[in-house]
Amino acid sequence: MTLSRWLRHETILAVLTIIALIVLAILSDKFFTTENLLNQGRLMSEVGLVALAMTFVIVTGGIDLSVGSILGLTAILLGVFWKNVGLPLPAAIVLAVACGTFAGWVNGFIITRFRVPPLIATLATLALYRGLAEGISEARSVRGYPEWFFFFGQGEVLGVPFQLWILGIATVIAAVILGLTPFGRATYAIGANETAARFSGIRVNATKLWIYAAAGFLSALAAVIFVSRVTTTRSDMGTGLELDVITGVVLGGTSIFGGRGTIIGTVLGLILIQALKNGLALSGVKGDGTIVVIGLVLIGAILAGALFDKNRGG
Amino acid sequence: MSADVAPPAIGRSPLQRFLGGYGQEIVVFLSIIFLFVVVGAINPRFLSDTNINSIFAGNAYIAVAAIGMSMIIIAGHIDVSVGALIGVIATIAGTLAVKGYPVWIAWTVPIFFSMAVNAGVGALVAYTRIPSIVVTLGMLSILKGGLISATAGAWISNLPPEFMIAQMRPFGIPSAVYFMVVLTILATLFVRYTDFGRSIYAVGGNMEAARAAGINPERVVVGVFALHGFFAGIAGILFATQLQVIQSTVPPNLELTVITASVIGGVSILGGSGTVIGSTLAAILFACIGSALIFLNVSAYWLRAVLGLMILATVLADMARRRRAK
Amino acid sequence: MMKKLTCAALLGLGLVSGQALAGGWTGGDDQPTNPLACDGTPSAGAAMAYDGGAPTNPPDRKGKKITVVDVPKLIGIGYFNATSKGIADAATELGNVEAKTDGPTKANIDEQITFLDNYITSGVDGILFAANDPVAIAPVLKKALEKGINVVGYDANSTPDARQWFVNQAQFNGIAKSLVDSLAAEIGEEGSFAIVTSTFTTPNQARWIAEMSAYAEKCHPKMKWLETVEAQEDNNLSFNQATTLINKYGDELKGIFGMTSVATPASAEAVTQANKCGSIAVVGLATPNAMKPYVEKGCVKSVVLWNPVDLGYAAMQVLRAVADGTLQPGATSVKAGKLGELQVINGSEILLGAPYVFNKDNIGQFDF
Repeated sequence: MTLSRWLRHETILAVLTIIALIVLAILSDKFFTTENLLNQGRLMSEVGLVALAMTFVIVTGGIDLSVGSILGLTAILLGVFWKNVGLPLPAAIVLAVACGTFAGWVNGFIITRFRVPPLIATLATLALYRGLAEGISEARSVRGYPEWFFFFGQGEVLGVPFQLWILGIATVIAAVILGLTPFGRATYAIGANETAARFSGIRVNATKLWIYAAAGFLSALAAVIFVSRVTTTRSDMGTGLELDVITGVVLGGTSIFGGRGTIIGTVLGLILIQALKNGLALSGVKGDGTIVVIGLVLIGAILAGALFDKNRGG
Repeated sequence: MSADVAPPAIGRSPLQRFLGGYGQEIVVFLSIIFLFVVVGAINPRFLSDTNINSIFAGNAYIAVAAIGMSMIIIAGHIDVSVGALIGVIATIAGTLAVKGYPVWIAWTVPIFFSMAVNAGVGALVAYTRIPSIVVTLGMLSILKGGLISATAGAWISNLPPEFMIAQMRPFGIPSAVYFMVVLTILATLFVRYTDFGRSIYAVGGNMEAARAAGINPERVVVGVFALHGFFAGIAGILFATQLQVIQSTVPPNLELTVITASVIGGVSILGGSGTVIGSTLAAILFACIGSALIFLNVSAYWLRAVLGLMILATVLADMARRRRAK
Repeated sequence: MMKKLTCAALLGLGLVSGQALAGGWTGGDDQPTNPLACDGTPSAGAAMAYDGGAPTNPPDRKGKKITVVDVPKLIGIGYFNATSKGIADAATELGNVEAKTDGPTKANIDEQITFLDNYITSGVDGILFAANDPVAIAPVLKKALEKGINVVGYDANSTPDARQWFVNQAQFNGIAKSLVDSLAAEIGEEGSFAIVTSTFTTPNQARWIAEMSAYAEKCHPKMKWLETVEAQEDNNLSFNQATTLINKYGDELKGIFGMTSVATPASAEAVTQANKCGSIAVVGLATPNAMKPYVEKGCVKSVVLWNPVDLGYAAMQVLRAVADGTLQPGATSVKAGKLGELQVINGSEILLGAPYVFNKDNIGQFDF
């Protein structure tokens, strides 16, 4: 678990990403333009925010399959609090995000208090939270938000999409926490060996609760941005988000067994996937072909990383 | 974590041993009985032979796929591509049948294909040490995208009647039920009484210890994946022959349903323990719940919330039981 | 513990379901309804001014070769394969259009928006869409209009100002009338029936159910709605749900409405496998090819649908007319190739025609 070993995968990934960017820029002259790249940043913000928290979750050796459902539930609550309960929109946003964070905390509670494996616990809440979203909304959409609200999802600050600023700031914070603070070291320690971490005085349960709550919080934040971007709420929002997020994180070199992974890797993984989706579409490849390429790249990149490790006698 | 289904516990009665070994299976089984009694009391039609037949037959393909999935999870791995694989198998089978090949070819070729694909996945997992979730996540994309590219989503219809194996009803019982029951029994015997079967538990419990005990863990992993391919293949054939048309797309969320069935059935996601009976019971329980919710007039809007709550309740009950057992 | 929780859950939901039953039919939306007259007298629609949008500074595309992308709700189902074929047919016939269909593999608003966004960047001349959500799709369509791209919808509308024209296959209240009248004719005025739909969030289906509820209340007040079940766009789930309905209600159930081209054949299959042909009627929206076996066996008497190939064909023709400038705001009709003159309604919608009812006598003539 040395620094050089972490960098190994990220270096491969960075090279792969640069090659992909160059090839895609050659294939289509519409790809490498400021406008397109910023727009792609806008489109990947929601997945990106959730992926930051998911990196922490997976580094502890856990997983959170319920993030897409939390996104959907938060979106519905935002609409219900505002339209049906009659709260002012800012209060509705804060309350909905609080509920999303609580939903994440509940995941952490089930996992730490009852020792349910994270995969199972969040498989159950995946169904539960989506079900609550459907039940509470009775599948009705809430529309007609005031114009100022659309700033979060459609506005720009200094020419850069608003949510890209949020993603950027969140990325820096996440990278600092994971890489430089005792909390980050505790996260790695739990993933490497939970029992050992417990014995060395790390507050394992508290750390995990924080991390799952953070996953809830970022999913909820993504929900607000998503609702603002598409100007409506639906109970099926965020369906399948968990697989996109996990693919990005795992492609970024975070080990699914825990103990290993970086925020930089996750960001590179996300950029590579988004670039492939967008660039292939611009050069005339259809959606189904793009899915195949992403699957191949995922296996290929991890395989390359594993082979490099082996060659070094690791 | 118990390394086998029935660890030799000293000073316990045979009944206690039995309950200890099959705890979660019994919880699931009692839940099924409970649903039959309660829902049957409210609406006796729930217990009509046609409804019981549809409960057992409707999810039989999920139960069959969950047998293989249970073995994968017992071996310490996971497969998130099984839904896509079943979609591909169904499409291949349907295409062969429509092209006029004999039905036995249309039934068996896709199963061999499925075993070959999964053996490849298993080899990648075993020899390169890439986590199975990563390989199968990639396979999910490849199979799904490939299927749509190849078929453009065109439905397959005009299937020959003799192809419809899941619709045959020997002695009035849908043939899918026979498959489910027979395969569950065979798989149970297989994992308990063959060397290979027991080595699956050993590899899932502790790979290095298994190696020290003279097992070749890589070979076991490849074998388990191939076996899982076999069950997924049969599930795909049952899936393909249930109706008159094949959709030739990936059935939505099927992988989650299959994994959930295995896990609710008592297979530990950490590997090394669990049985295949449990997953079959869990698949039946899902069909029961789906049917019961309609019979009980549960508002359709709240259906998924109830399902989630029930999964959570089962999991928590299992955890409580395990803690008591300790 | 499990049992206690299950009990509590079931009790709690018993209460919930009681509330849900109080309103209209489950699965309908809350938009205002406008049921047609029982005898089919067309209501005098007030003429509306054009309420569609307009592209910003579009280049002169008159008679020039244009590239068009078609982004349906999802790809891989029979219905959108048929519309896609219609679009390709029209493009070939016109000769100066290069059209392709691409879209998400499941009906997902986010993915559909991403597809549209990418095609806007790649610089197409025209976009055809069938919206997964009328409001969510609006921002990206407006962006297309701002880039000077011609935008025409079909099958599922967006908010009017986000596109130029919408080709309406049949009005919601017209479909509702056809479906309810067909079922009433088969099961009588006092029959009970259930509905199998895709999901409650699918706008078209929700609209139809709301209109059917309103029309049945007005013209067939004694017909009894039992319940609505969701079955995604999934064959096997639709079959299982329909089978459970048959088992639950026994002889009380006289009819099933299938609200999608997946649910209707699956419901017919469920009735066939339960040996209830003749005692349970299936009426619904479906493509003729999927329904032929059931209609020819006499298990299903009538299938309601417009011709989706014609729908795609008309959408492509309208887009070409818009690009050429021959279809301008304020027009009362448009010429759509072999389909002839199509009428403009509701300001910026083009009506394909009345819904078509397929039966044993004519179903053999259709292949889609």
